[in-house]
Amino acid sequence: MRRLLLAGAVAAIAATALLAGGALRQGDEAAAAPTTRQLVRLGLRELDAARRTGAPSHYSRSEAALEQALARSPEDVEALVGLASLEASRHRFRESLVLARRAQRLSPETAVTSAAVGDALVELGRYAEAFRAFDRFAEVKPGLAAYSRISYARELLGRTGPAIEAMRLAVDAAGDQGEPAAWTYTQLGKLSFSRGRLGAAAAEYRHALAALPGYVHALDALARVEAARGRLRRAIELERRAVEQAPLPQFVGALGDLYRADGRPGLARDQYRLVAAIDRLYAANGVATDLELALFNVDHGVRLRESLARARLAQQARPSIEADGVLAWALARNGRCGEARRFSQRALRLGTIDAGKFFQRGMIERCLGHRAEARRWFRRALRTNLHFSLRWAPVAKRALR
Amino acid sequence: MRTFALALIGIALAAAVLTVRALGPDPGRASSHREAPLIAEDPSADTTDLYAFRSLDAPDHLTVIANWIPAEDPAAGPNWYRFSERARYAINIDRSGDGKPDVSYRFRFRNREGALFLGNTVQDYTVTRVAGGKETLVASGVTPPNNIGPRTTPNYRQLAAGAVTNLVGGGKVFAGQREDAFFGDIGAIFDLVAIRKGTGNMGGGKDFFAGYAVHGIALQIPISQLDDSDHTVGVWATTERPRMRIRQYRRHGIRRFHQKREWVQVSRLGNPLVNEVIIPTKLKDRWNALSPSKDAQFEQYYREPILAAVINQLYGLGVPEKNRDDLVAVLLTGVPGLNSTGPKLADMLRINLSIPPTATPNRLGVLAGDTAGFPNGRRLEDDVIDIAERAVAGKLKGHPAGDLLGDGVDGNDVPSLMSFPYENDPPSGFDNTKGQQKP
Repeated sequence: MRRLLLAGAVAAIAATALLAGGALRQGDEAAAAPTTRQLVRLGLRELDAARRTGAPSHYSRSEAALEQALARSPEDVEALVGLASLEASRHRFRESLVLARRAQRLSPETAVTSAAVGDALVELGRYAEAFRAFDRFAEVKPGLAAYSRISYARELLGRTGPAIEAMRLAVDAAGDQGEPAAWTYTQLGKLSFSRGRLGAAAAEYRHALAALPGYVHALDALARVEAARGRLRRAIELERRAVEQAPLPQFVGALGDLYRADGRPGLARDQYRLVAAIDRLYAANGVATDLELALFNVDHGVRLRESLARARLAQQARPSIEADGVLAWALARNGRCGEARRFSQRALRLGTIDAGKFFQRGMIERCLGHRAEARRWFRRALRTNLHFSLRWAPVAKRALR
Repeated sequence: MRTFALALIGIALAAAVLTVRALGPDPGRASSHREAPLIAEDPSADTTDLYAFRSLDAPDHLTVIANWIPAEDPAAGPNWYRFSERARYAINIDRSGDGKPDVSYRFRFRNREGALFLGNTVQDYTVTRVAGGKETLVASGVTPPNNIGPRTTPNYRQLAAGAVTNLVGGGKVFAGQREDAFFGDIGAIFDLVAIRKGTGNMGGGKDFFAGYAVHGIALQIPISQLDDSDHTVGVWATTERPRMRIRQYRRHGIRRFHQKREWVQVSRLGNPLVNEVIIPTKLKDRWNALSPSKDAQFEQYYREPILAAVINQLYGLGVPEKNRDDLVAVLLTGVPGLNSTGPKLADMLRINLSIPPTATPNRLGVLAGDTAGFPNGRRLEDDVIDIAERAVAGKLKGHPAGDLLGDGVDGNDVPSLMSFPYENDPPSGFDNTKGQQKP
């Protein structure tokens, strides 16, 4: 902070002096425009606020500030990295990559540019390049940002234990305070949850809530644990708290699923309609949500053909294993199981241990008439995480009966 | 139905872009895009200040204090700041003038599991002395808890005093939360360097750092262990974090790692404000990873400091912008006749151990003829912001602007202690100075 504050101050001095030195000397301080540095700081703060609260207005404010900073100083590395990060937040990963690469060319020794490049590459499915970028980042600047990316890469490679190990270092670097600590604890919990370890996951989510009371991502994650333990009312209570603070579509959809499981289909429908409404807001604001919406609809059995088209577009725009998985699932639910199988293989090509994808593969094999194969994948899904989905885990269990 | 309508209104009001960020195995809501914090600060690795001085109560010892974790606000929610368990902290001393450590003191911390989750800020730590390739454990200490308030942590002075530990072979160590001895009007500097009164040499500034704490390590080392014929040593602090690669699955246990290749240096600090004022943004990561012995490559930024140009732009003082041999001497080689260590360029805090401490210190140190202060070492009361501004303005070259500048904050809000560990006890959350007292 000291470093950041002073560095910011000095850069502010520099930029101001060049622009407004004359005005200042005449005592006309109010006329001085904000400096590049001040704009960048504002843009990053708004981006952070968006991350924390999910409130959309922060994105537009962040964009305005960063664009203005860049208009003033087209080679400002922090502004470029900030914009790359913002574009990634809006799922525009190709745009993000272009910005990050420009930052990296301008300042190859600034570690964070490698991270921004890697972030975009991961979402574009270019894993070998992405992992090289993350390794380079961690080589220069190990810390929360680097360890959490190493952890994510290991998770994608199916190495849950080493992923947890890396995330523990990130937790240590986050220092038990505020959003960074809450975020890292929540990620640690999700790694445990992904292997069905409910108690370990819940403990981490509680750590997150102790570091930042009311942290919505921990409330949502804890709701899943409670649901897995069969405590639906408690889960609904937690999820409602998350939704009230930050109506993110995945929270709203989860609340709907919880109401449905609790035998309240009317309330569930309300939530599902809300998800659709939120998506229209997204679209109106230029956010790419094809993938998320396709998955939601396919999962809930609505607009299947339209969703398949969306999934195809999304998979072309951002061909990550996640997009491969969604497309495979959309194909399967539209009865096109042969093609679905090919994309399922692509989705699992890194060796990721993901119960949901295992289950979907089971459904695809069953659709193709491969009954033994199907059972094998269902078993694998449940062995990985008995509680992988409120909606689909029971389906897998029934299929094995 | 009301829930639905209200939530919709809420979203409409918020009106714009949300992002899907969940991750997880539930196909009902998966979106793999995981936003990890990108420009994350790393406070527990961030060295804020370094001091080195001889004190009146222990003139035969060199005291070194290094601080980490900037701007701890004891009143803002849980006061759980701690040293990192996985980082390695060090205070390095170069006796020979080559910019490489001849003696290092390494610190590793370990949390205690308390009954209260996260509430326990007491940490155990070890001090390892590294010299001539040999590592010796010279102390095992315990930090005091953070200062919460008179009920949770009563008699804080006593608690802290009890945490001072002797070093094997002589000397003392203390580690734990401290009042931030740094002072300065950062708020005004941010407001377009609006010095509150004139050019700043008339006081009237506001100490931004009052009421904040840091985590400090204080070492007191017998001078007899360090001194030699030229009397001058160079000091710097470093923080290292474990090296990690995606496909190297090592167990990163808390007490493992001895080999150098398993650590990456992420922060260093010798002279104050160099990282902030001298080193350009593009090179900060490189600078922080290097040893002072490699500093020759940065010479041009010391020789032609951007701050000089800035001061000229702002105040039209015509201070020299180029060929600043004076700054190179102060920051990279030592001042001839005072604390020079030879031609090797290395950013270290140099202190001539033969210069005795003074009972009447001047906050401007050597600039005011007080050779027991910065840049001959650095005392807690040395006003490095004013010294930096004046030195850059050409004080050492006899430029008249060298007497004008300052931020209007001439001292810390809290006095230093008269004895080790010198930096005062941290403000408690209960005694928060930043809020407003209601009648």
